[in-house]
Amino acid sequence: MSMDPVTRIAGALALHVTADLSEGRHLNVHSQAPLFRGYEVILMDRDPRDAIFVASRACGVCGGVHSHAAAYAVEMAWGLQPPPLGTVIRNLGEAAEMGYDNPLHLYLLAGPDYSEAVVKRTNPELWPKAEKWSCPGQNFHGFDTMADLMAALNPLTGELYREGLHFTRVAREQFSLLHGKYPHPQTIVPGGVSTTFTLQTLNEFQSRLSATFDYAQRMVAVWDDISEFFYEADERYKQVGARRANLIDPGYWDDPYAYDATYANCNEWGEQRPSTPGVVIDGELVTTRLTDMNMGLEEFVEHSWYDEWVDGDQRYDTDPLGNPLSPYHPWNKRTLPRPGAKDFRGKYTWACTPRWDRQTVEAGAYARLLMTALAQKHPPSDFYEATGHSLRMRVPKGMQPEAEFEWDVPEVWNAFERNRGRAYHYLFSQLVSLQNVVLAHQLLKRGEDRVAAVNDKELERRIPKDERLGVGWWGAGRGWLTHHCVLDQGKIVNYQICTPSTINASPRDPFDQPGAYEESVLNTPILERIAEPNDYTGIDMVRAVRSFDPCMPCTTHLHTGHGTIVREINTCACDG
Amino acid sequence: MEEYLDPVSKGSHVSRLGPLDKVHAFWFSGMSCDGCTVTVTGATTPSIEDLLTGSHPGLPQIVLHHPVVNLESGPNFLRAHERALRGELNAPYVIILEGSITDETAAMETGGYWAGNGDEPWGADGEERAVTADEWIARLAPGAAASIAIGTCATWGGIPSADGNPTGAMSMMDFLGQDYRSAFGLPVVNVPGCAPIGDNFNETVAAILYFLQGFGPLPEFDEIGRPAWLFGETVHRHCVRGAYYEEGSYAQEFGDPECLVEIGCWGPVVNCNITSRGAINHVGGCMNAGGACIGCTMPGFPDKFTPFYKVPPGSAVSTAASRILGSLIRPMRLYTNEHLNREVRWDLHHDVPSGWARGKQEPGRLKEAGHRIYDKLRRSNDTGKADVAPWGKRHEWTYERDPARERTLPGGTDRNTAERGAE
Repeated sequence: MSMDPVTRIAGALALHVTADLSEGRHLNVHSQAPLFRGYEVILMDRDPRDAIFVASRACGVCGGVHSHAAAYAVEMAWGLQPPPLGTVIRNLGEAAEMGYDNPLHLYLLAGPDYSEAVVKRTNPELWPKAEKWSCPGQNFHGFDTMADLMAALNPLTGELYREGLHFTRVAREQFSLLHGKYPHPQTIVPGGVSTTFTLQTLNEFQSRLSATFDYAQRMVAVWDDISEFFYEADERYKQVGARRANLIDPGYWDDPYAYDATYANCNEWGEQRPSTPGVVIDGELVTTRLTDMNMGLEEFVEHSWYDEWVDGDQRYDTDPLGNPLSPYHPWNKRTLPRPGAKDFRGKYTWACTPRWDRQTVEAGAYARLLMTALAQKHPPSDFYEATGHSLRMRVPKGMQPEAEFEWDVPEVWNAFERNRGRAYHYLFSQLVSLQNVVLAHQLLKRGEDRVAAVNDKELERRIPKDERLGVGWWGAGRGWLTHHCVLDQGKIVNYQICTPSTINASPRDPFDQPGAYEESVLNTPILERIAEPNDYTGIDMVRAVRSFDPCMPCTTHLHTGHGTIVREINTCACDG
Repeated sequence: MEEYLDPVSKGSHVSRLGPLDKVHAFWFSGMSCDGCTVTVTGATTPSIEDLLTGSHPGLPQIVLHHPVVNLESGPNFLRAHERALRGELNAPYVIILEGSITDETAAMETGGYWAGNGDEPWGADGEERAVTADEWIARLAPGAAASIAIGTCATWGGIPSADGNPTGAMSMMDFLGQDYRSAFGLPVVNVPGCAPIGDNFNETVAAILYFLQGFGPLPEFDEIGRPAWLFGETVHRHCVRGAYYEEGSYAQEFGDPECLVEIGCWGPVVNCNITSRGAINHVGGCMNAGGACIGCTMPGFPDKFTPFYKVPPGSAVSTAASRILGSLIRPMRLYTNEHLNREVRWDLHHDVPSGWARGKQEPGRLKEAGHRIYDKLRRSNDTGKADVAPWGKRHEWTYERDPARERTLPGGTDRNTAERGAE
């Protein structure tokens, strides 16, 4: 039967799916971002000092990452190198942000899909199995059977749900200690931060961090067990959300001594990042150079409600180092919104279509683990080590004894591996945080307490009057994030934001390749129990899409042809 | 979701202290970044989980129709909205808007929309039509017990309404107009902030509900609909750095601990309580961490504050005045502060026996005379000096009578010397 059309009502992403319930397959899918907010347009014609605060408001879920990406872009254009403590404070804040973002996704957003409340309804045949299945990770998470674990995932009442909420709060406290509030930090400045950083700040941060390591052990064990249980229950779960291993990530956090805010040295400082930049195509690491990533990036609007801008008048043929740039590169792109009717052969979304080397790639927190594991280029660390096929992490003791965890590069990228990867990423980010806490202590010990390149008055004097380019390569809870800016005569003349959700939620490209959500849904079998069409909840498809961590997932609305709206999915494809 | 939570959310009259059993809340996202939703999940007074599970004595259960907590097994999103429109909900409802409202007439010119919020059947052959966020607001606002705008986008238009905005973004109040009243007679309630403090919102909702339950006071709102008890004060009045201002000391470098006015802080003229409440669980707060106020709670945000980090020109007058005043106050405070940092015993011995302060100069005669005069002045009304004999108090040795006596007591310096001499 045809499931057409699928509609959405709230939020910024809708999925329109046609499914064949008797065959258990998804036949066609279109991913749509129904919201335009105009950040790129608003940023134009502004003083570059406004970029950080205005761009921050592009997303309130990833509440600090846009400020940081904007600061990186602007300080590159401006030529301001943050002092080491400034970079360390940024690292700490951003690790805390992951400390909020990952549990938010795993327990508040994705978790309920695997909870007793949902599984009992969509796949009642799994429940007796869950009751008998004893959890291998019981030592770490304390649940005897999978049924106990699933009950703990129940929204609002379950132990894991409530604990997840608690830890999102603890991490937001950490972030607020450094940046004032969450979301939308108040202390990011071009060339550093304006944080008043004392031993009290550091200790209050560190003490909260210490509590996360036991929790991280628990989280990793929970998501290991969920994956194993479903794989064992039905092998076809490996196909839920599966797509080619094409992933991209610009790296995250910085080595405070390597980062110099220049484009000229970006490959050097990029490869010194605690999480290595990289592109993986069909499972092979093809580059770890930021300049390659930048050159290969293009954004198309064939299926998006924007006017085409390529008219033979290309602003930049090359990047500042002479590498060729496409007319579709963000530095050449223009944001020309034109609302229109929804037409799946024509334009149907407010999201653009970012592609790398004209391939559909995927962004995600787990891409950081993948690049770091494969590249083996990360700076030496007491806490983690890449092996070329895995990432080994050593967790300091809390109430739980010290432990070593190893994340293996999965054979197939599916919904379960994304969630599992995110759980390991939580651990990884908290280890990066610990490493930076140590760095912060060392810097204070040496009296290196400057947090910004220049002061407020100097900042005003130094606004560049000539034409400058900048790019901030950064990350979000869901992976890749870039801000590209062009400054001229002291003002912003072009500003382009490329978010992970835009990459993942993108529509078809001009070469007719589907976006990452679309591709993963097409590969997803329908495994839920359906007696009659109205029973269809779309749980398998929703697990597939949720595993990408769309910002604020909720429900996906499907029309079953009888006007019955079942679910809706919502994301922040906060571009524009 | 509603049925799923029933076992935990059902309460008696006693456990909710009033007549309301449940209240539906319809949350709309407009042109939001979801930041308001995020801060509300961080709030703890009361917390979202307590509100939704009805486990806060005094409050009804809130049945929230919001994407984040919806579970697909529950009654779906749109149906509840439709029931509300038809007046078929078994309880009152409120609407909450996060994000600004778009001017859809501008988008219609080219046949599209800025902020879609669902499709519905339209036309004879079942074709679908997009329903925009503002249409939902227009439909539900008249029947709502209260219409609440959360965050600066929904309250005043916010960043989406900034200069250059192509979407005609505006606030809920602008959209509904000055004659709008909810079914309970309230104009739009505004809880601003970008992002707002989650607790400000939850507390406002709780305050309204305490009142509706019949035991709470009528919450006060100011003339633009803000909760008066939360937005009556300026940032500066509760700022942890405020006293630097009165002493005329200003941060010159990013990261300095002093008052931030000279790096572009607007705190003295912005209504916000983040300095006293913190950002989450009383932790953080912009100035507490070192961030200058950019006025994100204000109707004039952002364009009346940009470019950010440029020092507000008007502050030059007041900072100059405070520098003059500060140049008098600061030395006087320092003088007294030094004195208060000394034990009375140290004054009598003219010595601070601290390993940390070797070589520290004792205050000169002039300073000491000053302190003595000040002490006299200070204790001039001390009734403890009254000429009444205390009953039962033994008159023993005091420092005041004989400072030198201490040296001859056990452990005293003279005695030690004498004993050592004897050995």
